[in-house]
Amino acid sequence: MFGDSRFVLDQETSKAQSVSRTLGRLAGYFRPYWALMLLTLALILVVAWAEAYTAVLIGQAVDCYITPALAAAEGETVAAASSNCWFERTGTGDWTRNQLLRGLGGLMLFTTAIFVGSAVSRAFSFYTMAAAGNRIIKRLRTSLFARLHSLSLGYFSRNETGDVMSRLTNDLETLQQNLSFMLVSVLLSIVSIVWIMFEMLRTNWRFGLISMAVMPLMYLATNWLSGRARREFRKARREIGNINADLQENISGVREMQAFVREGASSEAFREVNAANRDANIKAVSYTAALNPSLEALGYLSLAVVTLVGGMILLDIGAFGALGGQVITLGLVITYINLVQRLIQPIAQIAVLWTNVQSAIAGSERIFELLDERPDIVERPDAADLGLLRGEVELERVVHSYEAGEIVLREVSLRAQPGETVAIVGPTGAGKTTILNLIPRFYDPEAGTVRLDGRDVRDVTKDSLRRQIGIVLQDTFLFNDTIMNNIRFSRADATDEEVMAVARLAHAHDFILSLEDGYDTVLGERGGGLSQGQRQLLSIARAILADPRILILDEATSSVDTRTERQIQAALEELMRGRTSFVVAHRLSTIRNADQVLMMREGQIIERGTHESLLRRQGAYHELYTSQFETVPV
Amino acid sequence: MDLKSLRQALAYSLRYRRFLILAVGGMLIGTSAQLAVPQFIQNILDAITRTLAARDVVALPAARQAAAAAEMGYGLPELRAALESPLQVLLNAALLILLFAIARGFFAFGQTFMSEKLGQYAAFDLRNELFEKIGRLSFSYHDRQRTGELMVRATDDVEKVRIFISQGLLLAIQALVLLVSTLIVLFLTNWRLTMVMVPILPVVLLLFMGFGAAVQKLFMSMQTKLDRLNSILQENIAGIQVVKTYVREKSEQARFNQSADEHMRTLLRVNRFMSVMFPFVFLMVNLAVVAITYFGGRMLIASELSLGQWSKFTLYVTYIFFPVGQLGFIMAQAAQASASAGRVFEILNTDIEVRNRPEAQALEAIQGAVQFQDVTFRYFAGNEPVLKAVSFTVQPGETIAILGATGSGKSTIINLLPRFYDVSQGRILVDGQDIRDVTLESLRSQIGIVLQETVLFSGTVRDNIAFGRPDATQAQIEAAAQAAAAHEFIRELPRQYDTEVAERGSTLSGGQKQRIAIARALLLNPSVLILDDSTSSVDLKTELHIQRALERLMEGRTSFVIAQRISTVRNASQILVLDKGRLVGQGTHEELMESHELYADIFSSQLVDDSEAMASTMVPNPSLRHFITA
Repeated sequence: MFGDSRFVLDQETSKAQSVSRTLGRLAGYFRPYWALMLLTLALILVVAWAEAYTAVLIGQAVDCYITPALAAAEGETVAAASSNCWFERTGTGDWTRNQLLRGLGGLMLFTTAIFVGSAVSRAFSFYTMAAAGNRIIKRLRTSLFARLHSLSLGYFSRNETGDVMSRLTNDLETLQQNLSFMLVSVLLSIVSIVWIMFEMLRTNWRFGLISMAVMPLMYLATNWLSGRARREFRKARREIGNINADLQENISGVREMQAFVREGASSEAFREVNAANRDANIKAVSYTAALNPSLEALGYLSLAVVTLVGGMILLDIGAFGALGGQVITLGLVITYINLVQRLIQPIAQIAVLWTNVQSAIAGSERIFELLDERPDIVERPDAADLGLLRGEVELERVVHSYEAGEIVLREVSLRAQPGETVAIVGPTGAGKTTILNLIPRFYDPEAGTVRLDGRDVRDVTKDSLRRQIGIVLQDTFLFNDTIMNNIRFSRADATDEEVMAVARLAHAHDFILSLEDGYDTVLGERGGGLSQGQRQLLSIARAILADPRILILDEATSSVDTRTERQIQAALEELMRGRTSFVVAHRLSTIRNADQVLMMREGQIIERGTHESLLRRQGAYHELYTSQFETVPV
Repeated sequence: MDLKSLRQALAYSLRYRRFLILAVGGMLIGTSAQLAVPQFIQNILDAITRTLAARDVVALPAARQAAAAAEMGYGLPELRAALESPLQVLLNAALLILLFAIARGFFAFGQTFMSEKLGQYAAFDLRNELFEKIGRLSFSYHDRQRTGELMVRATDDVEKVRIFISQGLLLAIQALVLLVSTLIVLFLTNWRLTMVMVPILPVVLLLFMGFGAAVQKLFMSMQTKLDRLNSILQENIAGIQVVKTYVREKSEQARFNQSADEHMRTLLRVNRFMSVMFPFVFLMVNLAVVAITYFGGRMLIASELSLGQWSKFTLYVTYIFFPVGQLGFIMAQAAQASASAGRVFEILNTDIEVRNRPEAQALEAIQGAVQFQDVTFRYFAGNEPVLKAVSFTVQPGETIAILGATGSGKSTIINLLPRFYDVSQGRILVDGQDIRDVTLESLRSQIGIVLQETVLFSGTVRDNIAFGRPDATQAQIEAAAQAAAAHEFIRELPRQYDTEVAERGSTLSGGQKQRIAIARALLLNPSVLILDDSTSSVDLKTELHIQRALERLMEGRTSFVIAQRISTVRNASQILVLDKGRLVGQGTHEELMESHELYADIFSSQLVDDSEAMASTMVPNPSLRHFITA
């Protein structure tokens, strides 16, 4: 929204070497499709061969048939001439004009056959390439998604949703376009270039060299322009990330935007981000737009040179006259004109595609960056299944900070016996939620140990740990799905009856039935027409269904009305029986019934005991408690 | 093909006529230059053959020279001239090629650059308009939409439209120009040879049309699948904690995987079409080359065509079939763009349900009288109403407490007042004016709202407090923060008011976020205040601070409070009791206690707990019960 915080400094210098690494890594993804790629390559070779060979055949049409036929007057014959002709005219003897014409027809039929074969090969090569490319994209997409799941909550609080999404959407999209048709075109172009150059040199190496004289210039132009373009594209990719972040934030916060009449200002801010993206793209395009025309101009230069030099040799004049001799024929010059044209086309194509490739490389870098993001919560290779918990929870001298230097927990120790209810109280920012986050191992503490049933949570599998912990948070998140499936989220194999049973326990059943579609009501991202309290009831039902050994309630009933809360409270108390429960609540009824009350302040537990014992102590808890009492006007 | 949307999208490029004209101008000049080059090559080849012929002729005895020249199709003076400076002729022609090539390059650059600029500017406008529109669409729209889907439309779909405007549009014009002018040149050069390739053209064009229509449907379904994919993605990022808590990573991955698979399969189907089409275009070009070689060769032999003309044909043939191929490619692009444009304009053409009437007046500074008259509301047409014929009147400065069970319609009442939704029936008056007759901006800017869920935006704490009044001074911001009991903790943040609030507000606790949200509302100095469970997630002590601050603030302002605190209820000027969407009770605490069963029930159920709490904690003051509830 306010943009400036997201501005990323240009780290251009270190990126140069990473390009080859990125490409190499991308190439690694093709390994499973090596057979398909070999087939593609074979098909591409066929196409390239056809491209080059047909040019030669058309040259022969002139030298072997048309020119002799021109020489042969009506009814006369001419001798088989050029040694270059090996098709039909390799035989001896004299030819009449009609024979020559028939020969020309045969040659053209043969050429047509090659063209058709080439078209079929081309079609197959495109498809095999796309098949491999799209599978790779799918693999990247799903492994990126899996990577997201493996990252700890810390990653998601550090990174903006929109930017993370942009890597899985825009960057992947760009890569996808490049991995299918573009890659095959690049390959085809490279093979064509090599082949045609070979053909030029083989036919007449001197003349071939002259035809290729402009290629170094082409290389220089491409290199310089695409280098500039790449730099600009990187900026543009970051800008699109910013656009995404801005969009995501404002779509999620659209209600606040309207409530505070910020539509205008937000649009203004977006306009800036949007303009930055536009300008970055225009800048990048100013280089790519110059590329094709430059190469084309160089191509025409090459054509001019070939024609000019060819002409001079043929006429035996000027500086190149000496090169000449009978070897160079008019047909040969025409062949070269053809070859040069065929050479320019793939070069221009590569150059243009290269700019797309730049954009794809920039995207790949961002994709790999996310893939390489090291999950800070890693399961040990020898992590064991936790087994059924009794429910003993112990924190020993736990230190934690979300950001370096800002310690949130300072050597916190606590122990909860199986089945106990632990209430955590204290001012906002004291570290209550942090303790709750450490038990299911959403974060690992910087120092100290978290133990369940005496086992370090880092020694057991995350699945076996979290499966036994139920959590109800203050912010309810529901999926865009039916109510039934939302509750069932915590236990996929639950029957409809089981879901309804827990909904009854959570006092959600009645209001669900009052909805038009009942349990089949599809909830919007923000819960559609449901109130915050109703959504919280659903999340409680969800937690009950999981039947956890340890229950974590972080202000779980903050948004329901007092009557409902009382009912839920009864359900929760029922639920808490026999389970170890951690509760952050502001309502004293919960606190009063707790086996332990932990009073926190500034990352430390400063008092612990039962509600009564703490009150008797006349300490901080008492102060907190009585401050209410003193100051609230009657 | 969805031509209407495509046309609507193309209209955006007309806004930047300058770029469009420059691009088209560059294209026309560049294309002309391009067309001239084969002519120059023909000139060189002709010059060569002429010189060669001249040499042959000159070698003959003078008497036979004229006849020989005539037989070759030349005049004798012409051949003599050719012999004089053969090199000069060649050099001149080569130089001309070079000049034209440079001109061509220059104008081609102008064309590409300008059209890219055109596309970028059009996309810029589209995206801005989408953003504005999304920002103004009513809550009822957003209740139904997924963030992921809207984002795909504002990014990916706009990008596809942009690519068409940037590339396809100009290339289409260029292709047509090139095609037609080449045909004319060739026709003038030798119409019979030209006729050899003409029949292929309509066949190819028809094929392209069919291809475009077929592939557009596929593109549409591809985008829909991409939507689904990205919605799953977005949900999983937003709800990551829930996913992790219930160990649903595997099954969510399976769901995503399946969607990715469907997307890929559609993509492969598109690719199958493309794989056939492009080689087919190449084949057409190549077949034309064959045809020209063969038929041209025959004509050459029959002296109906010069060698230069013939090679000119082989060069120009590319200029015919290259644009044809390009048209095919553009067709694919257009199909994709029109599918995307349809999705973009679906949003842009959506009616904003809650909007200013044409004759809407700005609401003057209000006193704060609020009146609900027979207000009925349903979120979706056809659904059960969540408010049923609710009527009440509020005097300026009154505090209204709204009570009721979860889902009884409390939030709905306060959502209707700032016109987040429009009533289904009945009307709402502020200072005697129907709120639908005044401008939204003037109405909302006089209402301070603290919503249930606290959403903060990236930016600093200061930016967030000044959200509704970006021009507020530091002193005003601090005063609001102080009133919301936020000043103290903000002072303890590493960079105080300049501390960045992470997107999810993770560095701030729920209570801190909420206090910032309260400060944000207070800074507006609103005449009407709406507090929805606003202090539910702060600790007792903070809640008390806020409570007192709010009480001060509510003084002189009309306030609507959804509260679960008895103290609020007791201090309220009026209490509205809601049950299943109906207003079942109205009055002061005392009145309701006497006459209203449900209210007494709610209240007494709390009082029971209260007294219990008092008994067990030995806290004598009954006011404590406001947090010892349940």
